[in-house]
Amino acid sequence: MTIMLRINGVSRTVDVAAGETLLEVLRREGFVGVKCGCGTGDCGACAVLLNGRAVNSCLTLAGKVDGAEILTVEGLASVERLHPLQEAFLDEGAVQCGYCTPGMLMSGIDLLTRNPNPSEDEIREAISGNLCRCTGYVKQVRAIQSAAERMRSGGDDCAT
Amino acid sequence: MALHQIQSMIRPSTLKEAWKAKAEQCESARFLGGGIDVVLYTPSSVTTLIDLAGLGLSDVREDVSGLMIGGTTTMTEAIESAAVKAYAGAFLIRVLKEVASPLQRNAATFGGTLGSAHPWSDVIPALLVLDAELDVYDGSDRAIGLEAYLEGRGNDVAPIICAIRLPGELRPARGAFATFTRTAFDVGLLNVACVGSIDGGAWKDVRIAVGGTPGLAARLRGVEKGLVGSAADDALIEEASAAAADAIDARDDLRASGEYRRILARTLVGRCLAEISEGSTG
Repeated sequence: MTIMLRINGVSRTVDVAAGETLLEVLRREGFVGVKCGCGTGDCGACAVLLNGRAVNSCLTLAGKVDGAEILTVEGLASVERLHPLQEAFLDEGAVQCGYCTPGMLMSGIDLLTRNPNPSEDEIREAISGNLCRCTGYVKQVRAIQSAAERMRSGGDDCAT
Repeated sequence: MALHQIQSMIRPSTLKEAWKAKAEQCESARFLGGGIDVVLYTPSSVTTLIDLAGLGLSDVREDVSGLMIGGTTTMTEAIESAAVKAYAGAFLIRVLKEVASPLQRNAATFGGTLGSAHPWSDVIPALLVLDAELDVYDGSDRAIGLEAYLEGRGNDVAPIICAIRLPGELRPARGAFATFTRTAFDVGLLNVACVGSIDGGAWKDVRIAVGGTPGLAARLRGVEKGLVGSAADDALIEEASAAAADAIDARDDLRASGEYRRILARTLVGRCLAEISEGSTG
């Protein structure tokens, strides 16, 4: 079947199998920042924004999201600079092996888009579907707090 | 990973079209809600998916008869709904926040949850104590109580769940929910939902459901009857909790033993009743 997707602001026509997941389609289309960790919705490494909400792309059938707006980690940075959340992850040392980072970033974007001043509990809840085996989540939480402060004070628009 | 057995995905725009497609293909077709269970648990015999997203079943409405949650409404849409927040002290929101992660709640639908009806579901015991009724379609529109729907599963082709209706008269009642999991993200070894209120120092209109026994959630009507009209004190809560432990269909499975589940039931029912009691008197 042929579907239309708007991926990181660019419309594409994509041929997909009826049982193919969005994760598989995105990676085949070159968006390999979207990681396959578990394939069962447990780790969150495959998270992307689907019409503005973070979802497990491994549990999303591509044929179901015909016409959708998809944002992957590749769509966060502009040519000039990283997204404030990406900058904060680097500054706070929230990136170690990096495998969970794309998914963690997308969950953070979903949160900050709706809640520019989240509490620590709200941040922990927002990334509760993103597993990180390198850290204890402290640095990711700090990074999201830091990004929230930067975006509030700098007027950065979270929507990319 | 890809469901290689799936040959086609149908996107009907009416209930009639969706049901016709299911009726024609029977066991080889499956309804598609949020898609999580479809990706995880679709048998190889299913070759066609019928996507219900185009049927316009994703709204949440409040009216004089209560609260209506559309069948393809996601958990997150319900959590963010002012109408759900205003219902029964936001009890349902507290339960929904226990379900998996935001990533899954952004996709998982109420219809999909009830269609799959997993024994470990946190949502089903909550809807049972809220006396949920379902608007379903199986060639014609009809209403069915959630308990009757659950009891009838497997006997006929499962209907399309158009909406969940929660009655308005429960609004003054308080709700409590407790689940016990090995890890925060895991499914519960047992879960308990209660709603109730206290009037003049006595229990009134108490409802208790226990899920993951490991069977499908069920109301404990005998325990409820023992509470209604009796003084809301600690001794009665202890007595009711012990009765709940005896009443559940506790069995062993890979997650826990039946004996352990009875201990959990006693503890969690006690906690829920105490929370409602303290909230009503405090």
